[in-house]
Amino acid sequence: MIEAHGLTKRYGKTTAVDDVSFTVHPGKVTGFLGPNGAGKSTTMRMIVGLDHPTHGTVTVNGRRYDQHRAPLREVGALLDAKAVHTGRSAYNHLRAMGATHGIGTARVREVIEMTGLESVARKRVGGFSLGMGQRLGIASALLGDPHTLILDEPVNGLDPEGVVWVRNLVRYLASQGRTIFLSSHLMSEMALTADHIIVLGRGRVLADAPVADIVERSAGTTVRVCSPQAARLVELLAGKGVSITSTTPQWLEVTGTTAQAIGEVAAAAQLVLHELTPVTGSLEDAYMALTQESVEYHSTTTGLHPDHLGADLGLAGTEGAIR
Amino acid sequence: MSTSVLLSPATSSQGNPPADDVRLTFPRIVRSEWIKFRTLRSTVWTLAITLLLMVGIVTMFSAIFASQEGAGNDGTDSTVVFTIAANLAQLAVVVLGVLVITGEYSTGMIRSTLAAVPRRLPALWAKGVVLAVSIFLVSTVAVGISLGVMQLFLGAKRLAPDPHDAETVRILVGVPLYLTAIALLAFAIGALMRHSAGALAAVLGLLLVVENLFLIPWKPLQHISPFLPGTAGSKILMPKAQIDAMSQGAVGTVLGPWQGYAVLLAWVVVLLTAAAVLLRRRNA
Repeated sequence: MIEAHGLTKRYGKTTAVDDVSFTVHPGKVTGFLGPNGAGKSTTMRMIVGLDHPTHGTVTVNGRRYDQHRAPLREVGALLDAKAVHTGRSAYNHLRAMGATHGIGTARVREVIEMTGLESVARKRVGGFSLGMGQRLGIASALLGDPHTLILDEPVNGLDPEGVVWVRNLVRYLASQGRTIFLSSHLMSEMALTADHIIVLGRGRVLADAPVADIVERSAGTTVRVCSPQAARLVELLAGKGVSITSTTPQWLEVTGTTAQAIGEVAAAAQLVLHELTPVTGSLEDAYMALTQESVEYHSTTTGLHPDHLGADLGLAGTEGAIR
Repeated sequence: MSTSVLLSPATSSQGNPPADDVRLTFPRIVRSEWIKFRTLRSTVWTLAITLLLMVGIVTMFSAIFASQEGAGNDGTDSTVVFTIAANLAQLAVVVLGVLVITGEYSTGMIRSTLAAVPRRLPALWAKGVVLAVSIFLVSTVAVGISLGVMQLFLGAKRLAPDPHDAETVRILVGVPLYLTAIALLAFAIGALMRHSAGALAAVLGLLLVVENLFLIPWKPLQHISPFLPGTAGSKILMPKAQIDAMSQGAVGTVLGPWQGYAVLLAWVVVLLTAAAVLLRRRNA
């Protein structure tokens, strides 16, 4: 269990984390989402005491991280994969980390095997690929067999097999009653992995709810309707919080009401429906809706140096989607 | 990559302590730092260079002494070789002292270290202990080998250092003591600056440039000069006769060998304290 109360972090005039309170419960995978610069990493660093909060407190299982007798047994953290001396081998790195807690070489070999690092364990970390570095970071986090696991972008740089492995691993660990706190930019991955989501934007908590609730609340449910009498249907449905968009004459995208209600309206007016499909929004849509206002680094064409415009034109489509 | 391996807790495997014994202790942190220390090529190399530099210099000078007819009549003179050797070896020792800590900052390793030891200070002290003990042992071995070499070259001429002479013994013991203190000085400055190049420049600049500038015959400087770390500490490497000769017409305080060494230790304590305070306060 991780509990943050009024957590605030300022660097000079910049407020990275602004009065954030949340609880991460055991037995679940809690996802941590937010745009770049939203304060996710800073929050995670404060949990394990690498950054000191300007105000507020954060505890793990009721105590500040540094008050635990066996910190690595309490929390395993992957904060950045490159927190390793490049001149040392993965095996020696893990051995040195474990030695602080009396964790022996047998466990070191176990986590190496679990993370699939056997073939490179004796090589110097400096030559590791991003994926290998990430696996070593996960191995370090698992070393103390911790009750709480904090992973910042764990699937970053992993191959598809690795992504699935991380997903199964954290779900399995959560099912054992451990606390899992996970950040990721891969929304589809988060939708598959997390039970609960905390969304951070500009250092504040924008949402803190189960995945299903967040998707429903923010993206809402759209109903796709196909009718030869679409124009008539629009007239009947219009009003009271209902918004309708139409791309082709017979097709409508209706939000703000249910498929059931639309069907009843159509039946009462004796309108023909060819299709009536509720479309659930994705976590990605929900996330975009939530963070629209709080994205710190908007991608935009304005203000760019003319030299960059050429390159930017090709990205126009993507850029619209990001905004 | 199977999750089934996870079922076995950290402690089920043979050879590991029982579950309730997985916790932080200072001896374990020292052990961790020792593993880190000896698993880097740079540390191993720097220690080897320290040893080779000292033995090499002593061998060279002994050979020169041996070839000179009637050089020196008592053993004390030949101890000057140790002073020269220690002055050169201190360059390697400074590099090691700085890199032991700044290497962790430049690679990001420090975040792993401090996540494992969140109270932070035990990690700093453990690093200092490992560094100090290693340097002390290696330089003691270097002095031992050097003594053997001198006996070989100069024994017949009765020029080898006399282990029964109190002053000679003080100088021989002084070499590891001086190098250890200088290593800790460099370590403290490395911990304060957290940047390899900056800290190396600062320590070498202090020892090789600044302290020499303070020898300029200008009164205010000469009052401070005896208390600078290198100038004060290296008194322990000098024969009394040399200290007396240098004190002729000296303006500032003249420190004895042990007084000088105490001043160097005071610098180490002050700088390490500052490093400890900042380590607690700063974000990693």
